[in-house]
Amino acid sequence: MAEPFANIEAASLEDLAMLSMEFGRILMECGASAKIVEEYVNRIAKGLGAGRVDLRVGYASLAITVGIGHAGITRMRKVGDLGVNQQLGQAVRALVRRQEAEQLSLAATQAELARLVKETPRYPGWVVDLAVGLACASFGRLLDVDWQAFLPVFGAAALGQCVRRHLLRRQVNVFIVATVVAFLASFLSGLLARWSGSLTVDQAMVSAVLLLVPGVPLLNAQYDVMGGYPTLGNARAVWVGTILIFLAVGVWLGQIALGEGR
Amino acid sequence: MDLVRILHQTFFGGLAAMGFGVLFNMHRRHILWCGLTGGLALAVRTVGLQLGWSLEGASFAAALAVGSVVTVGQERIGVSRNILDVAGCIPMVPGLFATKAILGFFALTAPVPVNPDETLITSVEFFLRVAFTIGAIGTGLAIPSLLLHVMARKK
Repeated sequence: MAEPFANIEAASLEDLAMLSMEFGRILMECGASAKIVEEYVNRIAKGLGAGRVDLRVGYASLAITVGIGHAGITRMRKVGDLGVNQQLGQAVRALVRRQEAEQLSLAATQAELARLVKETPRYPGWVVDLAVGLACASFGRLLDVDWQAFLPVFGAAALGQCVRRHLLRRQVNVFIVATVVAFLASFLSGLLARWSGSLTVDQAMVSAVLLLVPGVPLLNAQYDVMGGYPTLGNARAVWVGTILIFLAVGVWLGQIALGEGR
Repeated sequence: MDLVRILHQTFFGGLAAMGFGVLFNMHRRHILWCGLTGGLALAVRTVGLQLGWSLEGASFAAALAVGSVVTVGQERIGVSRNILDVAGCIPMVPGLFATKAILGFFALTAPVPVNPDETLITSVEFFLRVAFTIGAIGTGLAIPSLLLHVMARKK
């Protein structure tokens, strides 16, 4: 069996703290709840040799204090936009378990993490567009949208997702993107549903924008509050509320453009 | 009980969850599990609604069912619990009510609002339904894992 902490001989506390937070940052950006982030950052830091670990999980930053013996440091780092990427999140968690089992060195863990970030696959954009279109059309059926509006919702939502993808890649503000996509998808869905003789144009317009409803952050907000992270939970809830307002503005503009505004 | 309606909701609930599974970049072999949990959630919720339960009560029961099945079967499935939980319950997130509630509030601020009393009551009702349904889903999902945690600590 390997000597305890033999793998950190060459590693400084600085490297250990920064690598542990890198795990936390990626997990946050992949859509993990605060409890998961704290659990896995603790595990990786202790796996790499830290004797004590204290982590603060904020909405836009992480702060960590790690110590070995009498030595200890505190470091902070920024967290980027919070999205959802389950494959990468799963892979990062698996790496933590592997590091614990195989006692990987800090350098090897760092290299493996970098490889995961670079090589974890994503679905092609057009596949995601079609999948989102299908999901929204299914939502429409759940909300009693008639069959005449099924294809209009599918097409409008798929196009909306395509536009969202391109705008986010150009780093357009996420709230502006919500309004633009909501307007485009609701207008197009309503227009096509009306042409196809649908009697549920209003529901079709809303169904096409459900791709923008931030379900994961909404559930994470509640998990965080229940898990003892009320500050982060509230920050997520405020973000979700703001997205919903911008989304509703887009739908409202779509209704006005179609002559259905109140 | 309307069996056709239950099957319809189950099928499209599963399809919606699978679509969102792709958006969340889930692994291909997990997409089908998303569909199954989404279908299960909608089946339980639809049965609950047909039994005369409120949307919040039916959503709670559905989330509890999904959380329990995933908690019991997660090792066999080989994917972490909260991923399947969330994917399965995404079709129950009341996005329509949320959007309509905000649109209703917008309508109240028009220079001459149409039926302001009715619009206000409807919007507040939608807003409360969103809050309570999300609370019901989160609580329903949390209970099985909390029970498992307590049982694991007793061992």
